Amino acid sequence: MEVPDGTNVLEAALSNDVPLEHFCYHRYLPVAGNCRTCMVEIEGPKGAMLTIGCNTKVAEGMVIHTDTPKAKAAQKNALEMLLLDHPLDCPICDKAGECKLQNQYMEYGLYDFRRGVPRYFKGGKDEDIGEHVILDQERCVLCTRCIRFVDELPKTSELGIVNRGHESKITIFPGARLDNAYSGNVTDICPVGALTLKEFRFKQRVWFLKKTESVCPGCARGCNITVEHNRGRVYRFMPRESAELNKTWICDEGRFSFNYYQENRVEEVRVGSSPKTLKEGMEQLAGILSGLDKEEVAAIASPWASLEDNFILKKLFEKKFNVKNLVAPLWAKKGDTDHLLKLAEKYPNEQGLNLLGIPTDSKDFWDKMEKGAFKAVIVMSQNPFGQDEGRARKTYGKVKTLVVLSAHKTKTVEQASLVFPARPFTEKSGTFVNATSRLQRFRQAIEPENPDIVESSLGLCRLAKVLMVEGFEFEDTPSIFNAMAKEVEVLKGLTFHSIPPTGKVLDLNPIAPEPFQGVKAQPNVLGKAKA
Amino acid sequence: MQTVEPQLTKRFGLKDSYTLKVFLATGGYSSLKNLFAKKPAEVIEEVKASGLKGRGGAGFPCGMKWSFVPQNTGKPIYLAVNADEGEPGTFTDNYMMMNDPHLLLEGIICACYAINSHMAYIYVRGEFYAQIQRLNGAIDEARKAGYLGKNIQGSGFDLEVYVHRGAGAYICGEETGLLESLEGKPGKPRIKPPFPAVVGLFGCPTIINNVKTLSSVPWIIANGAAAYAAIGTKESTGTHVFGLSGHVNQTGYWEMPFGLPMMEFINHYGKGVKGGALKAVIPGGSSCPILTAKECEDLTLTYESMRDHKTMFGTGCAIVMNEHVDMVKVLKNLTHFYSHESCGQCTPCREGTAWEDRLMKKLLDGEATTQELSMMLEIADNMEGKTICVLSAALAMPVRSFIQKFRADFEKYCKPSISAVPAEIS
Repeated sequence: MEVPDGTNVLEAALSNDVPLEHFCYHRYLPVAGNCRTCMVEIEGPKGAMLTIGCNTKVAEGMVIHTDTPKAKAAQKNALEMLLLDHPLDCPICDKAGECKLQNQYMEYGLYDFRRGVPRYFKGGKDEDIGEHVILDQERCVLCTRCIRFVDELPKTSELGIVNRGHESKITIFPGARLDNAYSGNVTDICPVGALTLKEFRFKQRVWFLKKTESVCPGCARGCNITVEHNRGRVYRFMPRESAELNKTWICDEGRFSFNYYQENRVEEVRVGSSPKTLKEGMEQLAGILSGLDKEEVAAIASPWASLEDNFILKKLFEKKFNVKNLVAPLWAKKGDTDHLLKLAEKYPNEQGLNLLGIPTDSKDFWDKMEKGAFKAVIVMSQNPFGQDEGRARKTYGKVKTLVVLSAHKTKTVEQASLVFPARPFTEKSGTFVNATSRLQRFRQAIEPENPDIVESSLGLCRLAKVLMVEGFEFEDTPSIFNAMAKEVEVLKGLTFHSIPPTGKVLDLNPIAPEPFQGVKAQPNVLGKAKA
Repeated sequence: MQTVEPQLTKRFGLKDSYTLKVFLATGGYSSLKNLFAKKPAEVIEEVKASGLKGRGGAGFPCGMKWSFVPQNTGKPIYLAVNADEGEPGTFTDNYMMMNDPHLLLEGIICACYAINSHMAYIYVRGEFYAQIQRLNGAIDEARKAGYLGKNIQGSGFDLEVYVHRGAGAYICGEETGLLESLEGKPGKPRIKPPFPAVVGLFGCPTIINNVKTLSSVPWIIANGAAAYAAIGTKESTGTHVFGLSGHVNQTGYWEMPFGLPMMEFINHYGKGVKGGALKAVIPGGSSCPILTAKECEDLTLTYESMRDHKTMFGTGCAIVMNEHVDMVKVLKNLTHFYSHESCGQCTPCREGTAWEDRLMKKLLDGEATTQELSMMLEIADNMEGKTICVLSAALAMPVRSFIQKFRADFEKYCKPSISAVPAEIS
């Protein structure tokens, strides 16, 4: 096996599908070497030596055994000690199903239980240590992953160990709260159920969750996530590993946004105040649009919408109306930013607009609109005046037909004469281009119950069909992407399914710095063997 | 048995032996002339040739350790003096610091010159309050007299020495635990590699030596490696301050060359076993495997003889036990000590030491069977050699040797095990 220089033995094994037990080791954290489970035998001048894999760098010609009787026994015995006073409350533990103790017991343990003495009660169940995190001392295996995380990444150091020996406990420092902007990550890296999320506790057993590869649309960073859902409901967003982008981390703001996408939704097609089917709505809209001059129709594209949505809207305007009447105003207030992942710009697809050449400067557009130049305006996934109802009423008042495609109820939806429900990113497939010009794909996690709730892109395709415009015969979003890739220069040669899971950097100027500024080079080299 | 002049304890009987005046009058700091005439590399070679081994317990060759320091890192190099003397049964370093602090300083100067260090820290166990006063007094005197500070005795060599008070943890006597503590952190041993000689105190190359190791160096520099190597045995050169405690008529410490038979040490210096026949000896601090009276018969006070008897020289301070000692209670004391002092980082030590202690309590309560004894032996195997530092091995070794060598004592506490029930009944 050949791996990059500096790879440790454990990493070399794990990245090349050689299983090896481990608890404290985490690929993106400094090595602690305290759980003593990744024991391997390395052949040396004095015979085979038992050592831990995580703190041993691979060297030329090294012979490593992961499954000799001696190594296996060491792995098993360390596991036995870890489980010695574990409460075994798996039936009520939210980690059950994705717990390293459970999984690795089946893989490396399978010994008969013996303790011979009464269980030692460490105490400390259900300790509220932060806005999102609950600590259970009894389940803790003291791997210190959480401590290393808060020390190394947010650098807030709220966690530490008190006491010595088997009375050691992980806890927050007096007066501190685990309230940093990345606190949720400690629950992901906790190998057991010691740290759990208030937002997920007792909500769902993990083995029921389906996992869908996705991208967080919370800001322009586009962290890779997994949408975890069951029976049409999303229960959590989990970070998805991307060595180049977010490693295995996401911010709390993104993590806990999962409820936002399923609340306050537009549920049905509406014309005026009466509910309609999608077919009726489209026909009515087509009727209105056909009666107008093409200069009288305008549209607002969106940095929150996918490349496909924006592409179809733009294409419709190129073919049927005047593309100069298409704009994507950037109006959102800037959010928090930091040296790790969060970006102040809240648009997941601003770069996508640049890529498609949709202008974002909207001053002339609003002027024209206020002068009453547009009779019909299509607003896609936008709410340009935010909560400013007066401004919205004033501007939209000049428009006879305001058509809104939106997943959520907004002030713009309230002003609309035709409303079409749209799907949020969890309910459709598509692509975003993040601030560092990475084209990333997200896949559909759940299917809305109402068949009239369609992706904006496919809804607009239907409209085109009713308007009898050719070139919109798309069945799904991947085929829209593939058609777009043929037309747009920087996407040439790509297909929806050929985009790597962690995205592809496009030849486009980045509009934000790379993540993890000022964080020490990640300590562990990925040990993918050369083919 | 050779008789040699004392090197480490020669000022012990003198009035005001800890003062610079008495120190200078009795040949103190005289090695510095020889020292500064040599190049640092030559000093290291001299110490290597002397065969001086670390007196802290592991017995690592001192000169070899010094030669591991990289000189081209551009970082300062530190010397840390381990005066944490925490091994149960060990009590000689504190007398060294109490009676002859300047000898330690002279050794520090020699060592620092050899490894090119200009800063030394003496990490003293917090309870040694009087010793700390003496050390600080000696440092002040030495600095005023030009033996410390800038340009020591016109040699152009600068050295500052600071005393750091520990806060009382056995594990801070482990070299990397000591470094962590010195940096102001909890004393938790560091994962190796990197070794402290390369990345040590504050991330800089650091050598950690015991008090007696350093105190032995001035004599070597003054008299030459060959003279030192001629004392003691081939593998255990020089002299050592041996301690004796427990059931002997005369407890105390004596400086002697290596090589004295253990029984002679007990009978001649210790004036015989008190209160009964000899049962067992822990030869060099509580973590060394225990020896039976029979094993002591051909044991000598040398590194090699201890190794041949499958124990360790350790700190050279023996604990003697007579026939009335209950080995179970002794081991309970040790398991309690080690489980209390485990830093709690590594799983096998954190859980293993406490597990052994809880099993020992069960045994003393009369609740255990021989199955628990085998379990204790197995746990000892699972603890040893699988952790960052050797604390878990320091308990595993006594557990194994106590149970194996004094099994009868342990079985007395056992209730009949289920497997001991005759077959026809079960």
